[in-house]
Amino acid sequence: MKEQNTVVLGVIGADAHIVGNRILDYALTDNGFKVVNLGIFNSQEDYINSAIETSASAILVSSLYGQGELDCQGFRDKCMEAGLGDILLYAGGNLVIGKQDWPDVEKRFTTEMGFDRAYPPGTSAKTLIHDLIQDLKLS
Amino acid sequence: MDINEEVKRVKNKRWDEDYFMQLRQPTLAQWPTGKEVDLQEAVEYHKSMPAHKNMVNVLEQGIAGKRTLVQPRAGVALIDEHIGILKCLQNDGDADILPTTIDAYSRTQRYAEAQKGIETSQKKGRSMLNGVPLVNHGVKETRRIVEAVDRPLVVRTGTSDARLLAEVTLAAGYTDFLGGGIDYNVPYTKNIPLELTLFAWQYVDRLVAWYHEQGVCFNREQYGALSGTLLPPGIVAAVSVLEGLLAAEQGVKYYGMGYPQGGNLIQDVAAMHVMPQICKEYMDRFGYNDVTVTTVFHEWMGAFPPDEAQADGVIGYGAAAAALSGATQLISKTTHEAIGIPTKEANAAGVRTVKQVIKMIGEQRYPETNEVKFEMGIIRREAKAIIDRVLEMGDGDVAQGIIRGFAAGILDIPFSPSINNANKALPVRDNDGMLRWMDAGNLPLDKDMLEFNREKVALRAAFEGRDPNYEMTVDDVFAVNRGSLIGRPGMEE
Repeated sequence: MKEQNTVVLGVIGADAHIVGNRILDYALTDNGFKVVNLGIFNSQEDYINSAIETSASAILVSSLYGQGELDCQGFRDKCMEAGLGDILLYAGGNLVIGKQDWPDVEKRFTTEMGFDRAYPPGTSAKTLIHDLIQDLKLS
Repeated sequence: MDINEEVKRVKNKRWDEDYFMQLRQPTLAQWPTGKEVDLQEAVEYHKSMPAHKNMVNVLEQGIAGKRTLVQPRAGVALIDEHIGILKCLQNDGDADILPTTIDAYSRTQRYAEAQKGIETSQKKGRSMLNGVPLVNHGVKETRRIVEAVDRPLVVRTGTSDARLLAEVTLAAGYTDFLGGGIDYNVPYTKNIPLELTLFAWQYVDRLVAWYHEQGVCFNREQYGALSGTLLPPGIVAAVSVLEGLLAAEQGVKYYGMGYPQGGNLIQDVAAMHVMPQICKEYMDRFGYNDVTVTTVFHEWMGAFPPDEAQADGVIGYGAAAAALSGATQLISKTTHEAIGIPTKEANAAGVRTVKQVIKMIGEQRYPETNEVKFEMGIIRREAKAIIDRVLEMGDGDVAQGIIRGFAAGILDIPFSPSINNANKALPVRDNDGMLRWMDAGNLPLDKDMLEFNREKVALRAAFEGRDPNYEMTVDDVFAVNRGSLIGRPGMEE
């Protein structure tokens, strides 16, 4: 049984960028979400284990250092193996190295890599919260 | 010798040569390329290098010429592509100093993943890494970079343990190495003990000192930008001085104090003037009489506006602040900063932008007005309060003082991901845009200093008609990205 408003939040791979993570934690908490904040340096397993422990309904992956494309490979498959096949999986930040065409990058993460949503740099906490409420069918 | 035992006993005492040489064995064994390091060959190579490729020489020329030197950032997975970028920065940008940014996997010693990153980059025809894995590439390949350019090269890493990286790159011909025991632990790691990082950076400092003993001079640039987010200069100065003392103890003779642009010109000028003064005071006190201290101005380290023209404005302002404050070096940014890693063209353009500003300013300097002197006094008072308490807590030992200081929150770097950080101190801008403490946490500021900060913040709160709280700080985090310096309420995204 999922806890609809529990979300796992963290920065993936070898990325030490924490500021956005702290601000998202604050904004999500302020809007009624229960945030399980993993901080930085997380493997895919770290998110999945936390999601299982807390019956979270969403995994929010932040990546700011450009190597997110490598770090997120196979994430959806790992979720399925762990029995979290239908967990909401979002990625956001500076997901690739350099200026690339956003629609291409979005397609790579959603269609090819199985993320439900991907966000470009500069996405506001408001947008994230709006989409979560919609996708999780919260009121 | 058990390195773990040595780490636990870390103290601020110069390593003698035998001890250092013993530690080199397990260090060089961390990755196969360690076998390529030959200190004697490296010394000969450095002595044969032309002067214009040595960082210390170029720094001294910049100081004599009263001109802020410009260094961009850059790094991709493969050597040939990296050389292409550096040539562009040198020839199209006219950068004074060239960087090599190390990738994030290497920074966490994940050399196997870095290796995969190299292979994937080769397959895909584009860099999948955000820097160059120089440990993986090794001394011979790294030297190709040195041979291809005509400027001094700086290793730009953000790693808790740079021992092997320093061995490989310094042997290859790099003449400047960035980092320190505090600045590459607290803002850059999650759960690495401070002892380990302090020890690992003593190694780097001792290696640099070893080369100096052979007549080969390198610079040690300290990464003072820390978490790059709204840092009041007092804590920046304190960390920089403490790391300087550790470096000087090991025998480092050329030390660059890093500083992140705050955005209020008076405060930034004050910081650039007073930081080396405070550093020299403490160096003299401890008997390090022959250390050359310079300054490194990191232009805006926070979120950038996505619009490139607005980004250019940010870059120009940072250049003006660096030149007007007499900074020795400026680390430049680009108009692509909002998306992350720039193209080499955008990177070279950023260098041209800042050099234009620096050259036009020439020898003009912001004068030490009463306001600048006042802010210098604030920074000095705050920095000394922190440094002196750290020395007290360490019973005179800087290393132990740092460890105990962080545990007690006497040292507290806002927006740090490390478990070593108290995260109680919270910064915010005052009504003039200067960086102050909304909450000083456990920082050892006296009653007057706390009241000073409180009053400054209260003035802004009254002006904005809201209470000082976390939202004010968050607004400040986003302000520059949204077109301003101070995060006034109601600024839209």
